[in-house]
Amino acid sequence: MRPRSVRILSINGNQPQGIASPGVDILAAVKAWSLTRLWPLAILPSAFLLGSCEAPGGISPIFPTPVSPNGQGIFNTYIGISIPAIIIFVGVEAALLWVVIKYRRSRQPADYVPPQIHGNTRLEWAWTAAPLIVVLAIAGYSFNELQKDFQPISNYDFEIVVSGHQFGWNYEYPQGFTIHQEGTLAGDVTPFVVPVNKLIRLRVQGTDVIHSWWVPAISGKTDAVPGYDNFTWLKVDRVGTWRGECAELCGAGHSTMQIIVQSMSQYDYDVWVRKQQAAQK
Amino acid sequence: MAAVQVLPRPKAYDDTFWKPITLWLTTTDHKLIGIMYMVTGLLSFVIGGIFALVIRLQLSQPNMTVVDHETYNQLISAHGVTMIFFFVTIFLTGIANYMVPIMIGARDMAFPRVNLLGFWLVPVSILLYYGGFFTGGALDAGWTGYAPLTEKAYQGHSLGVDFWALSIIVWAISGIMASTNFLTTIIALRAPGMKLTRLPLFVWAQISTSILLLVVGAPLAAAMILVEFDRQLGTQFFTTQGRPVLYQHLFWFFGHPEVYIMILPGFGMISEVIPVFARKPIFGYISMVAALFGIVFLSMTVWAHHMFTVGMNTYVEGFFMLMTMLIAVPTGIKFFNWIATAWWGSIEFTLPMKFAFGFLATFLIGGITGIYLASVPVDTQLHQSYYVVAHLHYVLFGGSVFTIFAGLYYWFPKITGRLLNRTLGEWNFWTLFIGFNGTFLIMHTLGLEGMPRRIATYANPAWATTNMIITVSSFLIAFSVLLFFINVIRSWYGGEIAGNDPWRANTLEWATTSPPPPYNFERVPPVRSFMPLRDLREAGEVPAEPEPAPAPA
Repeated sequence: MRPRSVRILSINGNQPQGIASPGVDILAAVKAWSLTRLWPLAILPSAFLLGSCEAPGGISPIFPTPVSPNGQGIFNTYIGISIPAIIIFVGVEAALLWVVIKYRRSRQPADYVPPQIHGNTRLEWAWTAAPLIVVLAIAGYSFNELQKDFQPISNYDFEIVVSGHQFGWNYEYPQGFTIHQEGTLAGDVTPFVVPVNKLIRLRVQGTDVIHSWWVPAISGKTDAVPGYDNFTWLKVDRVGTWRGECAELCGAGHSTMQIIVQSMSQYDYDVWVRKQQAAQK
Repeated sequence: MAAVQVLPRPKAYDDTFWKPITLWLTTTDHKLIGIMYMVTGLLSFVIGGIFALVIRLQLSQPNMTVVDHETYNQLISAHGVTMIFFFVTIFLTGIANYMVPIMIGARDMAFPRVNLLGFWLVPVSILLYYGGFFTGGALDAGWTGYAPLTEKAYQGHSLGVDFWALSIIVWAISGIMASTNFLTTIIALRAPGMKLTRLPLFVWAQISTSILLLVVGAPLAAAMILVEFDRQLGTQFFTTQGRPVLYQHLFWFFGHPEVYIMILPGFGMISEVIPVFARKPIFGYISMVAALFGIVFLSMTVWAHHMFTVGMNTYVEGFFMLMTMLIAVPTGIKFFNWIATAWWGSIEFTLPMKFAFGFLATFLIGGITGIYLASVPVDTQLHQSYYVVAHLHYVLFGGSVFTIFAGLYYWFPKITGRLLNRTLGEWNFWTLFIGFNGTFLIMHTLGLEGMPRRIATYANPAWATTNMIITVSSFLIAFSVLLFFINVIRSWYGGEIAGNDPWRANTLEWATTSPPPPYNFERVPPVRSFMPLRDLREAGEVPAEPEPAPAPA
């Protein structure tokens, strides 16, 4: 049975019906239907493109504009995956719509008996191989980004120890002072200040339960796990303020564990450092 | 070949819902146990849904104070545990308990009394979990209960975590009993002629689900026992001084296959529903079965994709990323086979078929967002955000719950002898479809905007509109589910009499009366292919059904 390309079971000894005609019908009907009935699907890619330019209302199909190279890498990977994802989404939903519109019983002739097809070996192999190729490509592409931006780094300018506790963050600077970013409900926490264009390694530690340090505009999450240090890095390319939050449920005050990252020019940063050193002497 | 006698509904047995309580308490009939599983599951659905509505009210606007933060954390944990452990898994076990023996032509499960015990452990497990609310607070660390937040140092004030751990242990034992029972039944009690290659795909799905639960149920119980050791005996497995990430490994070794335990029976139901209403045999039977086992194997090699931010070697992360993405291959095979089954068909959009297509349309979105989440770099952004919440509801609600509705509308006539009302069903489908997508499609954007999951409130005004849309849509879901329950109750009493085979279906459960007698079949029909009833119908061996009895007033 296997080598035959189309396996057909006859019903009541009759020859299978309706097998030759659908091929012709499809071609004719694709022209008629696909452009008219499926137009709402065209909204999706355009919405995606529009959304990339920062929707103000909080409805955006993409991350905030990244300000650090590792965030930019993630952003690019997201866009890269979106290309096959949107094609597959539109293709499969269109096929479903096609089936719903074309093959409903009310649109078939009254005596229509569907062809009793049990399978098609070549087709089945084809739709085994096609997703395999797509996901291998996506996995390879993602792994490349993983090797580029998620490896331990050694060429950093300086290191800041970020430690999470219930409920807030401490930032230990190499200059010998610590910024305490205690959580508040309003979210107006003490900013964590970094100089622009400096490659800073963050050594992330947890002191009680697991927390997760996350500022979407900078990069992905890094868990603060008790018992060992995790590392991430940032190199903010412009002056500004960015918000984030603890991303791992850590107790009743979880939602108060806000993060504010403020980047300053090197001059302002030096002034700020001296002020902190004087205050914490 | 002797003609099969499908007898008119015998009057000797009682097919009404109102049976003596002693019968419900002591029955070993797989059908009654199945109904009890399903009713338990649906009650949990209501309870979990109420938790969800409170959560949505709390999040509808910034800085709301519907509940305090501690209560909120208990609610999200209870919502997750209820829906995953007590609704979807339990309901699916119930429908399989009812259908699998009949579909393979057996008289009952292989171990009827184990079945009885396995079922009655479920209410024990549920009551244990909710018992936590009366000890100063139930579990409040999310349904995953990550250590060390569940440890004595942080949860010393209540026994909620202990009650949760005990509840899950009991649940796992019950699941292992049910799985053993299913596997033995399917291997040992098949009707003559019911070769493995002729099993209905729902039965194959139940085999794969049972294997999964057998393998991963024990590690789950082990993790919970270790949590209890930490809390009550002072060990240091997962404490701040111990190895908290080990808990995540143990938990997700169960947790990810659990996702497939909740969806594979759904896949099986879709594989039953689509061929019946498209009037075509399932496309690629062998590849459908192979895909099930591909998923079973792969699902046990992907657990650490829930842990891409804990700090692993990039090659380890790459391995779990690759294995996760490979699941798209068997899932894709199933998807394309379903579409090919419907292609060139003569599709009748009955309610089960509507829900089946609703499932296909929404589950696809869950599958595609799953690829984004599997990619390690992208996942570090999306992990633990509302993007994940949206994704998991697309696979659990758009996936499992839509298949549950498809299965219920499909098999309700067999279970009760009556059809569900069509008008109410249409309303149920469309409000659910719109409410579901209104709730969860837009939720992806919240995650991308940086809203973490499990936060009790937020200050950011930019998230307010989106959250309000989500809350309103979630109440549309609640309305839809209410319609469904009204439909079930009305139709159970006064619905249209279904007859033995209202759908012109293919499998053996439709060869007996609706509802089936306690012994299932007067005489087990011969099985000559994977569509035995259809063979009988085409050979003219199914006699015309007797006139349905008039509905009792």
